[in-house]
Amino acid sequence: MSHPRNNFDIDALAQTTRRTFLGSLAGGASAFSLGSIALSQLLAREAHAAPMADSPHESTQLSRAPHFAARAKNVIYIHLAGSPSQLELFDYKPTLTKFNGQSCPDEYLKGEKFAFIKGHPTLLGPVCKFAQSGTAGLWTSEFIPHFRSIEHEVCVIKSMTTDQFNHAPAQLLLHTGEARFGGASFGSWVGYGLGSEARDLPGFVVLVSGDKTPDAGKSVWGSGFLPSVYQGVQCRASGDPVLYAKDPEGMLRATRRATIDAITEIARAGVTRHGDGETQSRIAQYELAYRMQMAVPEAMDITRESAATLSEYGATPGTPSLANSCVLARRLVERGVRFVQLYDWGWDGHGTGTSDDLLTQMPKKCREMDQPVAALVRDLRRRGLLDETLVIWGGEFGRTPVAEFRNGVKEFLGRDHHPHAFTMWMAGGGVKGGHTYGETDELGYKIARDPVRVKDFQATVLHLLGLDHLQLAYRHSGLDHRLTGVQGDAKVIHGLLS
Amino acid sequence: MCALLISGGARVGANDVVATHSASSPDAPVDFAREVLPVLASRCFRCHGGVREMAGLNLSDHARVTSALKSGHIAVVPMDPLRSELHTRVTSVDANERMPPDGDRLSIEQVATITRWIEQGAPWGTHWAFTPRVEPPIVMRADDSWSRKDLDRIVLARITQAQLTPAEEAPAEMLLRRVCLDITGIPPSLEQRAEFLNDTRTDAYERLVDTLLTDNTYGERFARVWLDLARYADTQGYEKDSTREIWAWRDWVIDALNRDMPYDQFAVRLLAGDLLANASDDDRLATAFHRNTLTNSEGGTDDEEFRMAAVFDRVSTTWQSFLGVTFQCTQCHGHPYDPFTHREYYEFLACLNQTEDADRDDDAPRLAITRNGINASVPVMRELALELRRTTHVLARGALTSPTDVVDGGVPATIATQSLGASHTLSQDAPMDRLAMAQWIASKENPLFARVAANRVWELFFGRGIVHTSEDFGVMGSGASDQALLDHLAGVLIAHDFSMKSLIKEIVCSATYRQSSIASARTRARDSENLLWSRAPRMRLEAEQVRDSALAVSGLLSRKQGGAPVMPPQPEGVWQVVYSGDAWKVSEGEDRYRRAIYTFLRRSSPYPSFIAFDSTSRETCTVRRIRTNTPLAALVLLNDPVYLECAQALARSVHDEHDDVDAVRVMLQRALGRDGYDDEVTTLTALVTRERERYAAHESEARLLSGDASIAAQSAGESSTNANAVDFARQAALVAAANAILNLDDFLTRS
Repeated sequence: MSHPRNNFDIDALAQTTRRTFLGSLAGGASAFSLGSIALSQLLAREAHAAPMADSPHESTQLSRAPHFAARAKNVIYIHLAGSPSQLELFDYKPTLTKFNGQSCPDEYLKGEKFAFIKGHPTLLGPVCKFAQSGTAGLWTSEFIPHFRSIEHEVCVIKSMTTDQFNHAPAQLLLHTGEARFGGASFGSWVGYGLGSEARDLPGFVVLVSGDKTPDAGKSVWGSGFLPSVYQGVQCRASGDPVLYAKDPEGMLRATRRATIDAITEIARAGVTRHGDGETQSRIAQYELAYRMQMAVPEAMDITRESAATLSEYGATPGTPSLANSCVLARRLVERGVRFVQLYDWGWDGHGTGTSDDLLTQMPKKCREMDQPVAALVRDLRRRGLLDETLVIWGGEFGRTPVAEFRNGVKEFLGRDHHPHAFTMWMAGGGVKGGHTYGETDELGYKIARDPVRVKDFQATVLHLLGLDHLQLAYRHSGLDHRLTGVQGDAKVIHGLLS
Repeated sequence: MCALLISGGARVGANDVVATHSASSPDAPVDFAREVLPVLASRCFRCHGGVREMAGLNLSDHARVTSALKSGHIAVVPMDPLRSELHTRVTSVDANERMPPDGDRLSIEQVATITRWIEQGAPWGTHWAFTPRVEPPIVMRADDSWSRKDLDRIVLARITQAQLTPAEEAPAEMLLRRVCLDITGIPPSLEQRAEFLNDTRTDAYERLVDTLLTDNTYGERFARVWLDLARYADTQGYEKDSTREIWAWRDWVIDALNRDMPYDQFAVRLLAGDLLANASDDDRLATAFHRNTLTNSEGGTDDEEFRMAAVFDRVSTTWQSFLGVTFQCTQCHGHPYDPFTHREYYEFLACLNQTEDADRDDDAPRLAITRNGINASVPVMRELALELRRTTHVLARGALTSPTDVVDGGVPATIATQSLGASHTLSQDAPMDRLAMAQWIASKENPLFARVAANRVWELFFGRGIVHTSEDFGVMGSGASDQALLDHLAGVLIAHDFSMKSLIKEIVCSATYRQSSIASARTRARDSENLLWSRAPRMRLEAEQVRDSALAVSGLLSRKQGGAPVMPPQPEGVWQVVYSGDAWKVSEGEDRYRRAIYTFLRRSSPYPSFIAFDSTSRETCTVRRIRTNTPLAALVLLNDPVYLECAQALARSVHDEHDDVDAVRVMLQRALGRDGYDDEVTTLTALVTRERERYAAHESEARLLSGDASIAAQSAGESSTNANAVDFARQAALVAAANAILNLDDFLTRS
């Protein structure tokens, strides 16, 4: 069995938490050079249970070295909550068009369980046109014309499969490796494995657009059993980007500085009286909080972007949108944030009304998504960031090749939840651009070739970041938890890698 | 195999201490459970335990250790180390042969112990936590003028053995603040302080403790622990996370604690109050404990799947809460380290698998009840009618789709054989129901029940349990840093008929508890982790205590008890709830200032300022909160309007003081429960002076920061002073100082 290098004990971690977080934010330039030292310190502490207190210089610990050479340093993960239809975007199925309106073959329905469909459903062909007019000649839908400009950067995975068919459990499985609450999220695992390089910002930032948080709530960016220092920090789309980052009304900036100086001065005197290292750490946290108060508003202020950039993304300052989130994601990655998680609500296309109709809502959502996402990939490339940044796009499952027609209403078109097959794509650091991986059957119902399970996808992303998914483990409740599950049977999909 | 790294921080330290006890001569009998099992567990079980059984070897199973493996080898041949494959492998010089394959080799001492153990016939033994308590002898030393309680004598023996001395007794005002926060969750008022410092009777402290234990704030403070264990929340969880009315159960817990309901009865009522003979509504209400499980009301969900998810959770929560064992591994397979089988998991589950609830939106069945004068309808446990009883199967790999053998209710043999005695009301042949299971758990003979409870209480007062991993007393847990102390405390609990207040009094009146948190450099060096309890710990306050303290010292705290949850101010937009029009409507009047325990908890968006201080979203049972120290917590205390309001109130309370030095002194007294040190007073007075000057040039900001409207109103009401004459610059400067004070380490810490 391999050597689970990151298999820290929960208590050891509770002790190292402060330092980790501190270091993760206090570091800056010399991150990589000190990373391995930091790791060995952590391991040493874990092995002989060194006391947490009496080391005065807390701020030397920075990002941690990966298990092996990384292809990407940062992640921008764009999650389309509710799950868009792969059949209207990437998974082109002429046969489905041909059999549109016909009864779904029985062999597909044996033992099948739908979230909403009742009775025997009929096949539903794609509601839009497809073409091969992009930079890599992939079949893509007319709903996403801008995507055609970045195809050469993208590896499209058409054979994603999950075993969860409701939103919250499926989102949890994708983001925490478990379909139930309580697991640690993707970004927190990455922070746990690699630390952070941002000096004034958290290492894992979450941005939500589309008016609502994902179904599974904040658990999809929680730290679960990992120390809460690794949890995603949600920067809000409107108002203060970080809760309580703004000084109270009437508090002058100079007064805030003076209060923190007073707090610090008194805390320092306390350390000489009682020698508590936790106090030492708190001093640094206050300093960091002060810096975040300035850094977060600056990082989150997209009015600092040029008009040309904003226009390329289709972003409008002050109006929360996925476009704004995409601009922010780039700004955060530029400032050293390791993992930026975007959630965009509004993709649950059941066809029960105007708000989830394939013919109207789907193209509207695509217009809001397509331009900024393509702009993000191009922008990262232009700025030399794409090679070290992994961009991930996808929902939590797919949509059925059959129509839903809930309660017999046929005025709108929609598709039910479909766990058997869906499409995700990745671009950037270490990904094979202009490539398609996996295939579904003629109706797009099941995987025909090269299935990619959620845990395989997770293992592959970790691999690109230089992390071995088996080694990235954490003991909790008597089990060694991993993002990819306790069984340890996830596979890195090398076919996606450049 | 990588046992080096599994062995966690405190455990190694704890074992080091144990090792000093057990360093014995070559002929002394080896204690398998104490000396050999921990080595096997930490270095071998990962591959050769209940899950993997590589090469067919399971070192946690006595029978298989001494029988032939597929390879023909025998792991342990009693009396014959040289024919024992275990010995051969751990001593091999061939790196391809040697075990463990990764990490450091076993130490010379570990190999010697294993060798001696085999030579002595390889006697098997059971992990200490699963064996009966041993009442430790109490040695009274003539020269011991320190000890006040028997527990002190046990503690002192180890401190002395390490050639250390206990820390001095904490100063009275520090002790007062400590014991108030520990028992009531609220720091002492200036009046309490004056009263205690002026009480010259020799038993002033004991009297204080008695008073605190009879105050109803005690129940509010300790209920927090039970709400964490019970995963109590005001919503159902999962996607919809709809509101759930279950606060009456929270009030039941507070009342039961305040009445000092014996802990065994408390446990039986939580698990099976409805099945007691002549069960009252109050007894039935107690069973809402296990109705805090999540309910999934999303369309198309398989109710049976989520009903079973709730039952699995109840099994896990029951074991975690009362028995300190991580039982959930056995849902899928035999326990990898501890002596519990896959089948036993389902026998235990069968006891909890006969209730009516079935993952329904309405959380039926419910009990209509009047609590605090309010009618409430609370989900409770109710046993299915006989003809509707379910059949419980063992589920292969824990999968609902793979049922195998049918099982009846029962409890694991390892523990059962020691505790299923006269106290068990059923004949041993009859299947157990939920009540019998609860009575088995809560019996004096159960080796875990009292120990786990005593450990939890100790953890609350000392920041760390005697078993550090209070969620895991098993082989892979941290072990007890001092089993005698733990067994003694468990004995105290039992001797007082499970009165929690008696155990708490015994602890807080001990010399051990009354030590100062400041220790000599020598003590800090030799007992760096305080495993010997050679001083009092410094602990960051819990999330609830942070809020309650800030409200209390600023005079805003409402003492109203019980009732429906309240919604104190939180930032706009935190509640973005899919599918639901529920809104956070800020409570009015005193409900704005209630204790933290009454704050509405939505699982999908818990109260943000609590989360910053490590409270949880209560989706699953939390035995132990992990304390973190992040900049987000600093931002809450610096900038959350709730805490600014506290700072404004604190500043307002001293605005009649004539000079700034006095104002600062009084604020420090109120917030810290002690007189400010000179350097603190100097620093904060300088802050006030500088900020007064600064705000003199910023009048509108000064008005904002000082909380203009309320100041004006107060001044107008109190005296003839014209509101315009209020010195807003001074008031703003005092608010800045108060804001700093509420962020001081000594405010946030109990020492």
